[in-house]
Amino acid sequence: MTNPGPVTKTIVDKRAGGRWRAVLPAWSPKLGIGLGLVVLIALFGLLGPLFTGDPSAVRDIGLTSPSGDHLLGTTQTGQDVLAQLTHATRGSLQIGLLVGVLATVLSAIFGIIGSYAGGALDEVFSLFSNVALVIPGLPLVIVIAGFVPADQRGSWTIAVVLALTGWAAAARVLRAQTLSLRNRDYVAAARVSGEKTWRVICVEILPNLLPILASQFVFAVILAILNEAGLSFLGLGASNSSTLGTMLYYAQNGFALQLDAWWWFVPPGLIIALFGCGLALINFSIDEIINPQLRTGHARQNDSDVTAAKPSSGNRSAVLTVTGLDVVYRADPPVHAVRDVSLTLGRGEILGLAGESGCGKTTLAYAINRLHRPPAQVTAGSVVLHDRDGQDIDVLALDAERLRTFRWSKLSMVFQGAMNALNPVTPVRAQLEDVLTTHRPDMSKQERRSRCAEVFRRVGVDPSRLDSYAHELSGGMRQRVMIAMAMLLEPQVMIMDEPTTALDVVVQRGILREILRLRDEMAFAVIFITHDLPLLLEISDRIAVMRSGEVVEYATADEIHRRPRHPYTRQLLRSFPSLTGERGLFAMSTPERETS
Amino acid sequence: MTTLEVTGLVKDYVIRSGLRRATLRAVDGVSFELRPGRTVALVGESGSGKSTVARMIARLEEPTSGRITVTTPDGRRVDDRTYRDHVQMIFQDPFASLNPFHTVQHHLVRPLRLHHRDASWPAVRHLLERVNLKPAEDFAARRPHELSGGQRQRVAIARALAPGARVVVADEPVSMLDVSIRLDILSLLAELQREETLAVLYITHDLATARHFSDEILVMYRGRVVERGPADDVILRPRHPYTRLLAAAAPNPDARGRSLDLDVPESFDTTETYDHYQASR
Repeated sequence: MTNPGPVTKTIVDKRAGGRWRAVLPAWSPKLGIGLGLVVLIALFGLLGPLFTGDPSAVRDIGLTSPSGDHLLGTTQTGQDVLAQLTHATRGSLQIGLLVGVLATVLSAIFGIIGSYAGGALDEVFSLFSNVALVIPGLPLVIVIAGFVPADQRGSWTIAVVLALTGWAAAARVLRAQTLSLRNRDYVAAARVSGEKTWRVICVEILPNLLPILASQFVFAVILAILNEAGLSFLGLGASNSSTLGTMLYYAQNGFALQLDAWWWFVPPGLIIALFGCGLALINFSIDEIINPQLRTGHARQNDSDVTAAKPSSGNRSAVLTVTGLDVVYRADPPVHAVRDVSLTLGRGEILGLAGESGCGKTTLAYAINRLHRPPAQVTAGSVVLHDRDGQDIDVLALDAERLRTFRWSKLSMVFQGAMNALNPVTPVRAQLEDVLTTHRPDMSKQERRSRCAEVFRRVGVDPSRLDSYAHELSGGMRQRVMIAMAMLLEPQVMIMDEPTTALDVVVQRGILREILRLRDEMAFAVIFITHDLPLLLEISDRIAVMRSGEVVEYATADEIHRRPRHPYTRQLLRSFPSLTGERGLFAMSTPERETS
Repeated sequence: MTTLEVTGLVKDYVIRSGLRRATLRAVDGVSFELRPGRTVALVGESGSGKSTVARMIARLEEPTSGRITVTTPDGRRVDDRTYRDHVQMIFQDPFASLNPFHTVQHHLVRPLRLHHRDASWPAVRHLLERVNLKPAEDFAARRPHELSGGQRQRVAIARALAPGARVVVADEPVSMLDVSIRLDILSLLAELQREETLAVLYITHDLATARHFSDEILVMYRGRVVERGPADDVILRPRHPYTRLLAAAAPNPDARGRSLDLDVPESFDTTETYDHYQASR
């Protein structure tokens, strides 16, 4: 920065931690133990040799068990095991670090540069790393190490050999991630602003790869130490070097196992195991940065303090009554996502639920269906479904088994982005029939087939498409399949969460027409969740407008269109310019000045 | 004034499946002109090729054929090296178009410096204040995850203005934002366009905002422009069957209870562009 001025300098300094917080793992016991192990062993290798004597000094006391003079005993030739152990640890760490750095650099070059450049370079680099990946590592290492004369086999040779056989898997991972990153808009934005390619890679892409690079580095170190130990144990290690592997090699040759000289072979083995364990624990914590989903603990679901539903007040025309529903996310601080929401859904009614992202509309839908997961929790209220046969079902009080049968058959749901919810590896028929075999076990195969064909016809998809796979269907078609699946068991209520948001208007209209037609034919009720208020104004009977978990206005669509009461409803309506009205006139039919 | 002229723009994509090669013509002979102080809206559904046009103008994609020429006020043609001093782009998703690793300040200082402009703090503050991010000191030090969607898009707009570009391509700039802030962002764009007499290409699938925020509308269907004309003419008196279908399919609260049935033909005639300008002549 040339001169950002003193003001920002201090602000930037104050927030300097922010940049790294995103790439540093969160503190956890796993990370603590891992770091502790690694640091202890590193210090042992680093400082140990300063305090112990010459590891190769031969004494004529022969093989002795641990004692005051020799804390870990001596070898066959009277060498001090502790002194050997400190030097060997140092040697192994050196090789591990060296290989870790070399392999990471190699994988970064082949993984990142190739995939960013694309085209022929990517093909060549990718082919090269694929070939390197399928070459079995250790046997090749043995061949190469055996090929180089023993007197020329220094630590560097071994490190290079190990790095050459160990980088390919990491390159594949980096390539995949870079391919995803290079298509991000911020990379395109950097190119549009005129950044040079190397800067785009180093400044825009590389920081976002840091967690992966770190985990691949750690993995390379573990692998290198293990492989080096294996090589040295076979006598193919670096000449004149002292590593944990060579210690084990001499222990083996000195018949340590047969002589029960555990102090000779257990300590080096233990150090390898503990170091690997420590690095693996660190890697778990790094994985949590890459995939934050791993971080959420499994809180126990506890909805016991929900009020029992009152007996139905004889409202026969209603199919679903939600009373005083509260949903809280037990986070720190707790988030009250749904507050005291009461809704009544009439039979055959289309209820629009409007609101912006984060207003709690999806949480509400999930809670009605009891699909909410911890940390979300229903803390108050009731959800009652008034069944066709006159029975009232308290949804929040159902046990697991009854909930399972209740869900798709009485109340089904079309999820947000549902068109991507189809299983890609089985034809859609199998997925539809699966619902029937679960919920209607006494149905014959023939009946199942005809039922599937029937629902397809109802949503306007040719039944021959039943044998298609998800990728063979267009977005609108997939959305129709999801709606067909939701109505397979003739539910009384369907909750649709943004069912048409990702679709083009023409397709959207076709699906809306089907929903309205099906409503008329089958008399089910629909809760239609969307942020598209003009759409709700046109198709729904009543509309509930939500903001920050509360229903701020609940009235008929006509009422909301002509006489919106809440300022937020008016603000939302003003956000939609009218397509055909005068310029500057928005979705609200009465101009603002008349209402205010 | 700085104008951008697009002539006969064509983009083919090669689709390889096994040994077979097929070409898909994403953009087919599109021509238009962006003039200072005017907004041209390019409307169409997904797959119509409108974003490909934007990416070619931003030079993220190479046109298969056709020309994009930018002329400066003194009549010179802008060369490749300085092209990006004149043409900038605003991306659709402000959650993706800002690098999560860098501060707002970084996002603005880089383009300023790359285009040899004053990258000092007052210049950055000025940019932030232009897009109503105040206090600028506070926003400059934040990282994208500390901003709301609307604030991010404001940063993205400031970044597009940083090189001093006079031609701005806005690719669906509000479709990822919450509805209640969409108009604020579009109004900000309109205000900047007026004050700096920018030439703006507004790409959208939303006919209503296209009508309210642009002077001219081009309707794209399968890579071709099927109708063009003054905004109100195209939306209120659509002539091409495809434009009519689009206008009829948009939700309309005033038409409650109308039949939702639409007569959707398999495809439309794209051989001719219905041009309201020529028709009125």
